[in-house]
Amino acid sequence: MHILRVENMRKSFGGVEVLHQLNVGFEKGTITTIIGPSGSGKSTLLRTLNQLEEVEEGAIYFYDQDLTKKESNLNQARTKIGMVFQSFYLFENMTVLENCMIGQIKVLKREKHEAKEHAMMYLKKVGMDAFCDRSASSLSGGQKQRVAIARTLSMDPEVLLFDEPTSSLDPEMVGGVLEVMKEIMTEDLTCIVVTHEMDFAKEVSDRILFMDQGNIVLDGSVEEVFENESSERINQFLSRIR
Amino acid sequence: MVLLASIPQDFLGGIFFILKENYALYYEGIKYTLLISTLGTLLGLLLALVLTILRIQETSKKDGIKERFFKKVATLLSSSYVEFFRGTPMMVQAMIFFYGLARIGFRMPIIVAGLVVVSLNTAAYLTEVLRSGINGIDKGQMEAARAIGLTRGQAFRYVIFPQALKNMLPAIGNELVVNIKDTAVLSVIGVSELFYMGRSVAGTYYRYTEAFVLVALMYLMIVIVMTKLLSFIVKKVNKKEVMLPMSQSVPIEVN
Repeated sequence: MHILRVENMRKSFGGVEVLHQLNVGFEKGTITTIIGPSGSGKSTLLRTLNQLEEVEEGAIYFYDQDLTKKESNLNQARTKIGMVFQSFYLFENMTVLENCMIGQIKVLKREKHEAKEHAMMYLKKVGMDAFCDRSASSLSGGQKQRVAIARTLSMDPEVLLFDEPTSSLDPEMVGGVLEVMKEIMTEDLTCIVVTHEMDFAKEVSDRILFMDQGNIVLDGSVEEVFENESSERINQFLSRIR
Repeated sequence: MVLLASIPQDFLGGIFFILKENYALYYEGIKYTLLISTLGTLLGLLLALVLTILRIQETSKKDGIKERFFKKVATLLSSSYVEFFRGTPMMVQAMIFFYGLARIGFRMPIIVAGLVVVSLNTAAYLTEVLRSGINGIDKGQMEAARAIGLTRGQAFRYVIFPQALKNMLPAIGNELVVNIKDTAVLSVIGVSELFYMGRSVAGTYYRYTEAFVLVALMYLMIVIVMTKLLSFIVKKVNKKEVMLPMSQSVPIEVN
């Protein structure tokens, strides 16, 4: 069953079309990694899925709800479709704990103590519970990203979108964040990851999408994509990043 | 005239004499100057928040014609307001406001009129400050807030405004200091603030220099104390946890 499905979707920026009539669905409970060169539209595709980018044409279904329609309950859907950003974007005016509570209290309408308990559980899971009273702006990059993951998990999402989660980290921080990601990727969570970490992609993915110039060029299992002799484009891409 | 005869002829003697005889008047003036400028700045800030909200309406592809129209009107209203109040002297605004309203039969206490004029004026300036403060916040803060399901309004209230307000604290303080001095123009509609009192004292003795040197010293003292107080507040708000210097890592494109 598709938990997220994109139908005939087009997206342009200032008259330049960056995604050309895409059709793609994501099975519930699977891990999909999107790879491809810079500017291929990976991040844009990811950002259309929770409607941070509005699209010109087409539909984006979360279950059977079209998120591009005005009648859709986008904010409730967004609590179910979490996102982890490349630059973390912790709320700088809040503490670590408050970052993980605000959404639960204001959107999910949870009681304060309940939200706190929930937040602490996930902060512990990402190894940041000891930092709960620190201000978000005082953390290092790797710490921020782990808190950002806990913030998203606190909303009990069904889908997690990762937009190059390790690309702004110092090299020695990357491993820790990838470890946390692996740990939280359970069967009931659907993950869609945009990343340049090919080893990580090979290890965790059920499916790889290779994008180039606004199209999904290859779509298949790890073996089908990485050991594809016939596609010159992917070989060119893979040889460059190796 | 007894008054004129008893005042010493030298400059310093004159100053001390005037201060001794009229400190109550000056005190009244200082009271109104402080009241109107601080309250006016606060009310102006509140109004600026409203004007800024009107100003930053963003149209979405999902908006119908009606919503687009209202958002356009809101933006236009807010920006014309700012243009008008920044483009005309406060003194002129005070005259129009006070006498204009009186003409259509709406009389209000002079102090209230002065307070309203200062608030309206401050709102226009702080709207611009607030807007640039908001523009200065990383766009990602809004995106992250929306991504966990907060509405645009909630995102502004809990995430964007607190950060913008903190960044604009020095500018708000600056506006307060400007207001302390600019309330002087309200003397044209007869608000009995410090300048007005100075003029009245000066007129009593025909000693303009002495009376206004005193007024200047009083303004200066108020402003110095207020500036110190404000920078203390700013420091308190910006108090950061002790943190070690850290390099900001930048993503590197690997080919």
